[in-house]
Amino acid sequence: MSDFWSGYIIFIVVLNLVGCAVLLFANSRLSAEEARQDTTGHKFDGIEERNQPLPRWWLFLFIGTLVFAAGYLVLYPGLGRFGGLLNWTSVTQWEQEVALMEKSSEPLFKEFAKVPVDELAHYPETRDVGGRLFAQNCAICHGSDARGARGYPNLTDGDWLYGGSPDAIVQTITSGRRGTMTPMAAAIGNTDEAVRDMAMYVQTLSRPDLKDKPEYRDAAERAEPRFQVCAACHGADATGNQMIGAPNLTDGIWLYGARLEDIESTIREGRQGHMPAHEGVLTPERIHVLAAYVYSLSMETEE
Amino acid sequence: MANRHAVIEKNVGLLIVLILVAVSFGGLAEIVPLFWQKSTTEPMSTLRPYDALEMAGRDIYIREGCHVCHTQMVRPLRAETERFGPYSVAGEDVWEHPFLWGSKRTGPDLARVGLRPITEQWHREHLRDPRAVVPESNMPAYPWLQNTPVDWKHMERTLSVFKDIFGVPYSEQDVAEQMEKVNGEWADASEEDALVAYLLSLGQARKEVRE
Repeated sequence: MSDFWSGYIIFIVVLNLVGCAVLLFANSRLSAEEARQDTTGHKFDGIEERNQPLPRWWLFLFIGTLVFAAGYLVLYPGLGRFGGLLNWTSVTQWEQEVALMEKSSEPLFKEFAKVPVDELAHYPETRDVGGRLFAQNCAICHGSDARGARGYPNLTDGDWLYGGSPDAIVQTITSGRRGTMTPMAAAIGNTDEAVRDMAMYVQTLSRPDLKDKPEYRDAAERAEPRFQVCAACHGADATGNQMIGAPNLTDGIWLYGARLEDIESTIREGRQGHMPAHEGVLTPERIHVLAAYVYSLSMETEE
Repeated sequence: MANRHAVIEKNVGLLIVLILVAVSFGGLAEIVPLFWQKSTTEPMSTLRPYDALEMAGRDIYIREGCHVCHTQMVRPLRAETERFGPYSVAGEDVWEHPFLWGSKRTGPDLARVGLRPITEQWHREHLRDPRAVVPESNMPAYPWLQNTPVDWKHMERTLSVFKDIFGVPYSEQDVAEQMEKVNGEWADASEEDALVAYLLSLGQARKEVRE
């Protein structure tokens, strides 16, 4: 702030305070003549306006605010460039708050970092600290109950696209994942019938009871030989491949819906899954606690 | 001071003038100097003017009243910087006309939403049906945005106004380049495309600051 603007602000602020004080004291008592008259001379409908000094309580309150303002301007910023004797700024206050929090939380996170993820998952603190980290960073996609949504995996069902080991979870959170299924219609025959056959066959993988229906039996018979192109990623037994995030097709868990239409559109258009990386957003210590929390979610399911 | 205030009380014109003088002090001390301060008039070095698609998205953001429920102002409070990202500074908003700080926080602050690890796909699904991805959300759905093409009619004018009147450093060439894209790759862009592009641009000026 330049000298000019600093002086300009100081001038206005001081002028206001002094002006208020002068106005106040000029009007706070009556001259001897006014006091004698005891009336302003205004008369309406027989009601006379009297001339009284300002009420004491009000006067003292006003003086109080002037004193407060003066004290405030000495201690806090307000007079141009003068920052006040306390040197307070909102930024330094924020820095202090952050430093205070770091001081109390960092040792805690360091302690947590020494405990392996699968053991940390049993700690009651993980539920509190990890739960908050989850609510802040993960719930937006995976849901506040971690049960996911269409296209966003359920983290509580023990079914993992990229593996549910502590290391795999840490890796997923840190670097993110990109799951790509390319459109497969062309590779399996390029007709609506071929896509429908394959979708029906894929449905029977997790629901063998469907094979009792003739239309499913026939579709499966037609599609099964073509499944070898799918097997490149999903495996010959269709149980998936966690190295590349190819889902298990036999477990009845569907990220993009279990209906025939859903599976058909997956085959026809492919799918793009993207879990963003959290490196740089969260410290490694926090990711460690978060991983323990995520690990604990499916642990409970298994029990 | 015998009854000298009677002069003011009996002259309405003088009374009005003196009232205006009295109420102007606050603005004179708190607002007027800001027009000449470096911190409020100099854009951050990392600030980048909006491209045409983001600018169209910004207009949709204003049209749909997003700023009524979402602020774009992270205050220097730990709880906010922890949740949203670095606190806002004046240098980020030099080219904002009008600024969209908002004042009501029904939804989360969006000043740093482009820095959050949220995918473009999520933004689209969330705009079409917020409860499909966040069941407890009370945000209205905007499903028509995906089917409504951006109205580019006034974009050239908008960019020129920002350039000539608001002093945003677009060059003639920038405007021409943007208009080329508007007539080319963005000609069929939907309002959803524009709004998502705008949302993803928010906070990018502060990218480096985030540890």
